[in-house]
Amino acid sequence: MTTNVYLIKEGYENLKKHGSKTFSTMLIICATMLITGIFIILLQNVNKNVEVVKYEQGLQAIISDTATDEDIEYMKDQLSKIDGIRDINYINKEMAYKDAEEEFKDMSYFLEGLDKINPFPASFVIRFTDINYADTVKAEVEKIDGITKIKYNSDTINAVISISKIVNIFLLGVGAVMLVVSIFIISNTIKLAVYSNKREIFIMRYIGATNSFIKRPFIIEGAIMGIVSALISFILISIGYMLIYMNVPEVGSSIGVFGVLSYKELWYQVLLIYIVLGLFIGIIGSNISIKKYLKV
Amino acid sequence: MIEFINVDKEYNHNVKALDNININIEKGEFVFLVGPSGSGKSTFLKLLIKEEEPTKGKILVNGKDLSKIKPREIPYLRRKIGFVFQDFRLLYDRTVAENIEFALRVIESSEREISIQLRTVLELVRLTGKENFYPNQLSGGEQQRVSLARALATKPPIIIADEPTGNLDPSTAKEIFKTLEEINARGTTIIVVTHAKDIVDSMNKRVIALNNGRIVKDEQRGGY
Repeated sequence: MTTNVYLIKEGYENLKKHGSKTFSTMLIICATMLITGIFIILLQNVNKNVEVVKYEQGLQAIISDTATDEDIEYMKDQLSKIDGIRDINYINKEMAYKDAEEEFKDMSYFLEGLDKINPFPASFVIRFTDINYADTVKAEVEKIDGITKIKYNSDTINAVISISKIVNIFLLGVGAVMLVVSIFIISNTIKLAVYSNKREIFIMRYIGATNSFIKRPFIIEGAIMGIVSALISFILISIGYMLIYMNVPEVGSSIGVFGVLSYKELWYQVLLIYIVLGLFIGIIGSNISIKKYLKV
Repeated sequence: MIEFINVDKEYNHNVKALDNININIEKGEFVFLVGPSGSGKSTFLKLLIKEEEPTKGKILVNGKDLSKIKPREIPYLRRKIGFVFQDFRLLYDRTVAENIEFALRVIESSEREISIQLRTVLELVRLTGKENFYPNQLSGGEQQRVSLARALATKPPIIIADEPTGNLDPSTAKEIFKTLEEINARGTTIIVVTHAKDIVDSMNKRVIALNNGRIVKDEQRGGY
């Protein structure tokens, strides 16, 4: 048995020695982790939907009716030089009419007699590489000769951006609070462990234990609590998410236009975040108490 | 082995716990440190393991100047000095063997070393056969032997016993001192702080007496 195995055993014995305290600590950490997990999942869903919405954002540049084929080629060429454009779709007048037909399927009388003159203009449908380029792209497109008008829904775009920012900040805030609570809880439990091992620590010091030797069992104890809590939380949240996903059909398909992520896309993120969080909480929490009460 | 050169230790407000102490203890010596409570014995021991710093003067252990030892080297200094306490300081939830092993784990010994040393020291303090007993199942004298075995396990060249028989009856105390003498005969330097006048008188060892922080007596083959 190497020193490390011995110290891990000591850490584990410590956990057992204060079984009920360990249990209640892990219970609280699980609760904070579950709350954090729910928020992570919400965040991921919101972000995913925002991404989809953002991805579809673009503008429509209306082309003058007098533009010739050559003019249109020229415009395409100009457009391709603008940064921030992901793709350009040319819609000629016939296609525009068809689109209108599709749109007004139930009210076809609107279009009666229009097929001869086709008032619908040709246009470019442009999508951005990044929604943040929207304004500069718009400004550049406006400058091109032969573009008469730009249809662009800036309100939607701005709303999407600000909603996603607010949600992100809010969820990060909740996460930070949960993190602090968890670290505090663990450090409190380790404080207790340090106190109850005072005799051992005193003897260790006289025998000539290095600080690292004295510290390690407590750090291991904290890390075990963090990891075990992480795994329990992961199992609970996985069951919860899958139950909701499977049993509520509306959730399984989508809510309105918004889709819900399947757990296949999420589980590894949740697991990774939990494990990292668990280790972090455990190690930081125990270090705080060790520094304070062990004076090493 | 241990040298105090013009050592002063003042706690706050000019209260001198130790006043110009000059002591030289050679390797393999057996020394009694005596004196009334508050005479500076504990301070002397604390300085020796660098739990306290002297206000003035120099302390050498094994030729090393303690003032030059960095905090993270202190554990290695302490491994050279085995400590035996008046109240034994055993871990009562661990067996005799586990208490002794504890010391060897602390200095990160290998499994092989642990099993060899465990057997050796148990024999030395005559506790072979009691390794699986818990301290509470042992007499006071036996508990002090466990404490002694723990101090010996790490093979320190120096053993310090702070009132090792303070809690024991005279005949048990005698046995403990006999064991200490045996350990000393194997070359370990031993410093015993004690009030056991009869034993000091009967053992004919070097006696250093402190009073009010000063050395009032330092005699080879002295009495209390």
